[in-house]
Amino acid sequence: MNATTWKEKLSAIRDSFSISVAKAPAESPEAIELRYLGRKGELALLLRDLKDIPIEERKVLGALGNTAKEEMTAKLDALKGASGPAGFVLKSDLDLTLPGWPFPKGSLHPLTHTMNRLAEGFLKLGFTMADGPLVEDDYHNFEALNFPPFHPARDMQDTFYVGVKDTSGKDMLLRTHTSPVQIRSMEKQDPPLRVFHTGRVFRSEAVDASHSFAFHQIEGLYVDKGVSMADLKWTVDAFMKDLFGSSVKTRFNPSYFPFVEPGAEVDMSCIFCKGANSAARCPVCKGTGWLELMGAGMVHPNVLKGCKYDPEKWSGFAFGGGIERFAMLLYGIGDMRMLYENDLRILKQVQ
Amino acid sequence: MRIIYSWLSDFIENPPPAEELAAKLGRIGLKVEELKKSGASFSGVCVGEILKIDKHPNADKLALVDVSDGSVTLRVVCGAKNIAVGQKIAFAKVGAKLAEGELKKAKIRGVESEGMICSASELGLEGRDNTGILVLPEATPVGVDAITLFPKADCTLEVEMLPNQSHCLSHYALARELCVFYGFKLKEAAIFDGRSSGNVVPVTIHVPDLCPRYGAIVIKGVRGAKTPAWMADRLRAMGSNPKGNILIDGSNYVMYELGQPTHCFDISKLAGPKIIVRRAMPGEMLKPLDGQAIKLDAGMLVIADASKPVALAGVMGGFYTAVSEETDAILIESARFHAPTVRLASKTTGIKSESSYRFERGTDPELPKKAARRLAALILEASPGAEVEQISDTYPVKYERPVVEIDPARINAILGTGIADGEIYACLKAFQPDLKDAKPWKFTVPSYRQDIESVWDVSEEVARYVGYDVIPAESHMPMLPSAVTPRWAVGLEMKNTLAGLGFSEVYNYDFISAKEMKACAFYADMALEVKNPLSSDYQFMRQSLLTGLLKTLRYNLNRGRESVQIFESGSVYSRTEAGKAEDVHCAGLMSGDFPEGGFWQGGQGVADFYHLKGMMSRLFIGKGGFRFEKPKTAPGYFQPGLCLEMKLGGNSAGYAGKLSPAVAAAFDFKDNNIFYFEIPLTCMVAAWKPDFWQKIARIKPVSAFPQNWRDLSIVLEEKHEWHELERSFSGVQDLASARLIDVYKGKNIPAGFRSLTIRFTFSSMTGTLNDADVGAHMTAILDKLAKNFSAKLRS
Repeated sequence: MNATTWKEKLSAIRDSFSISVAKAPAESPEAIELRYLGRKGELALLLRDLKDIPIEERKVLGALGNTAKEEMTAKLDALKGASGPAGFVLKSDLDLTLPGWPFPKGSLHPLTHTMNRLAEGFLKLGFTMADGPLVEDDYHNFEALNFPPFHPARDMQDTFYVGVKDTSGKDMLLRTHTSPVQIRSMEKQDPPLRVFHTGRVFRSEAVDASHSFAFHQIEGLYVDKGVSMADLKWTVDAFMKDLFGSSVKTRFNPSYFPFVEPGAEVDMSCIFCKGANSAARCPVCKGTGWLELMGAGMVHPNVLKGCKYDPEKWSGFAFGGGIERFAMLLYGIGDMRMLYENDLRILKQVQ
Repeated sequence: MRIIYSWLSDFIENPPPAEELAAKLGRIGLKVEELKKSGASFSGVCVGEILKIDKHPNADKLALVDVSDGSVTLRVVCGAKNIAVGQKIAFAKVGAKLAEGELKKAKIRGVESEGMICSASELGLEGRDNTGILVLPEATPVGVDAITLFPKADCTLEVEMLPNQSHCLSHYALARELCVFYGFKLKEAAIFDGRSSGNVVPVTIHVPDLCPRYGAIVIKGVRGAKTPAWMADRLRAMGSNPKGNILIDGSNYVMYELGQPTHCFDISKLAGPKIIVRRAMPGEMLKPLDGQAIKLDAGMLVIADASKPVALAGVMGGFYTAVSEETDAILIESARFHAPTVRLASKTTGIKSESSYRFERGTDPELPKKAARRLAALILEASPGAEVEQISDTYPVKYERPVVEIDPARINAILGTGIADGEIYACLKAFQPDLKDAKPWKFTVPSYRQDIESVWDVSEEVARYVGYDVIPAESHMPMLPSAVTPRWAVGLEMKNTLAGLGFSEVYNYDFISAKEMKACAFYADMALEVKNPLSSDYQFMRQSLLTGLLKTLRYNLNRGRESVQIFESGSVYSRTEAGKAEDVHCAGLMSGDFPEGGFWQGGQGVADFYHLKGMMSRLFIGKGGFRFEKPKTAPGYFQPGLCLEMKLGGNSAGYAGKLSPAVAAAFDFKDNNIFYFEIPLTCMVAAWKPDFWQKIARIKPVSAFPQNWRDLSIVLEEKHEWHELERSFSGVQDLASARLIDVYKGKNIPAGFRSLTIRFTFSSMTGTLNDADVGAHMTAILDKLAKNFSAKLRS
């Protein structure tokens, strides 16, 4: 066989291959493959014949043959994949149940979620966010909030002190509550004002399931003409209903915080047992039907006076609570330490 | 504070049951944290003696026991192992009322039992061994009612006391509170009402502002007086350990009963004998009742005799003048001290006592006299023959009860209520029975209510009186617009973006140790130190969020995690010349597999610098003027040369890079493939606009004509950085973008050189670019590259 005959034979094989492909699906792709490209297929046999052709021509012909083989394989693959317009694959052998590309999955901390939600509650009620430092002076953290020096009320809040002094020469401290922001807001702005603040606070307490030396609070303050405890009750009730749904009830009990008078503790009806099966002793409310959630009260006249607000003219209320307490209730966390352990197996559950 | 129900009941006529009292206390703000039953409440149980023990015919573990109740012998079935002939036991006859209910006649394994030998728990007794029957002392007489052997049924209430409830710190005071608010009738304790004009021990007060009143009663002939059993029982129930000496126990008893701390001095040990109330003098010492001698200072108030301090006023008595078994003549001190002075002394010396607890909260100015007489009565009852030789009441600063004018309308305005005048009047009258009904009411504050100063305080009392539930939840508050702070807004946006990029948010404490501070290469001289840290682990305030994030990384790697991508937003602190500085940062790190978990088709790898850099570019997308720069000085915790500074509008937006091997090693990581960034939120706050429309960038028009692209491969020296090249393309006409698509070193490229392949995309606003146009642009680019960087076209 010489080169010319070989080329003609190759051409013939290509033509008849094209015809066979065009006849598909009458001829199955598998059959076509066997006939042309199989080990004993027409093309394979032709390539074998190359051995009879002189070496210098063999190289060129070999390349032609391989190109033809590639083309035919590609066409056949396309045929196997689908029968339709070129470029579109109608039949697929993808296993759609295999996992998709692992796009990184992050998460926000449960305390951030809780804080965002609570902040939203305040914003809806017309409270504007205010800010203040974490390293505070004694005046804003205690004195202006009606905790006189040497008052036992200071024992309610064990305090960390840091190695710098304020302008009056007293040691600065890590704020023990978010309430100093009440003072800072009133110092900055004339009444009326309606502000809230959320952030970290510190108490020098041993860490256990329900205590931490760093935790978070949120609280709101409203001062205007004629603000009463009824306004406070309505606001707290609206805030809680916004968070937990319109069926929750709130209840006030007498309590004490030096910067409010009268002072109250806010209970919310237990959202878990709905107060219904108190006989079965709901583990969250311990069968009482109520959850202690916040502190509240009318701004103490001494606090107003200290901020140069006339208590005969202006009155106000403040209320707030711990973010951890809300988060633990919402996420069913029994141990506060879990919130600062940063175990990604836990954090990634929160989306 | 612990309250014994029976003791409380001493002061209330017809008291309601304990549970009801507890609920009533709760409604007026005195929370009962625990209500515990104590003592015995069974009936029909007598003391019996075991006469004989036989085997039960049908059961190996049971016995048939003959028990004598003093008159007859009864046969009972018993399963306890600790029975023995001759034992005295609590024997319940049929019909007895036990903890579990009434005892009925029963046949046990075929044998009738005529009663039961009781265990402690069957009798409802707490705190005793319950492993078998309760064995009584041998000397117990057979036949007596067993109830007489045990303390009577009672309840203890643990009441939470808030700092403003100094008027409730005793049984009497709590009873009085219940009587005021619920209309019960208050009963008084028996006090000594004798008289004496003697002045055996003169009392002098040098500092009346610190000690406005000092009551003293001198009694002689008290030697050997014992504490009666009923008093010892009550003290024990209070958790106090009775000493058996009435002079000590009686004083404690009166404090728990009336709320007034008292103290007994042994007159034979008082120099003078004299009592002088004065400030301590510098250098003076006092050995308190228990503990080491303490150094006194002029800020402290002491009780002194003619020569030396004998008590730290309101805190603790002195050791050398304390009463003992030998004491025969005593002086009872019942005084009032300046609360802040007592508190300061207690803080300074570190001595906290039941006495200082009450004094620092403020005591009733009118109580000292009554309390001294009550203690005298108790001591005299226990020591027949004793004589009162002095009753003095040194009272230099007379207490005036403040008067608050009350207009009911003002009360209703504060509370937002419509409480009838009559009801408010009834409340005030409960406090002050002689209040005249002429408006405005002149409400005279009771001496025990030091906390009531104004109409706001009275409003709270009225609210407690009518119940907080009476206050309606209604409001006519005006609507107000609200806003967040810029810091909150940018922080939230950053947090959300980072979470979207695969970072998990963590919360760490703000405190770090000296060792961690050093390991993280922070500046020790700028560290803000906690003066009273919980432990040395928490001695310094963090200067960067790095420490917490590294600890979190280690925690999670130790739990088998192979990929960690975390961030935190929080405050960082430093010392400055002006005092302190604090700032809010957002920082994060990535280490290990990326993306996490891998992919079955492959294509994943491990976190590297370019992942982090890409994340940062994504984080700041749309923030005008963002770029990376080589830092002039990078924080010390980065590996030198592997850190970039981020700039936003010319200001630093923090750093991103690879941590140094030293930091990684200090935290026990096996390598430093940890990629870290830290951003001060202030950089974003500056550019934050309060109004949303100001934040929106105007949209640029795009070309209506098709775009063209060309790839260009060049070879140039490695020292030329990509960003230099990138910058040089600015100004090339119609150039829409220049994107790096390949970096190659190796075969065919000389050492010290590299090949970059860049895809240039061109687009014109005015027309379609043809090959010649694009070619001309490409030539211009190549010329620039050749001129600026000696770049050659790759062949």
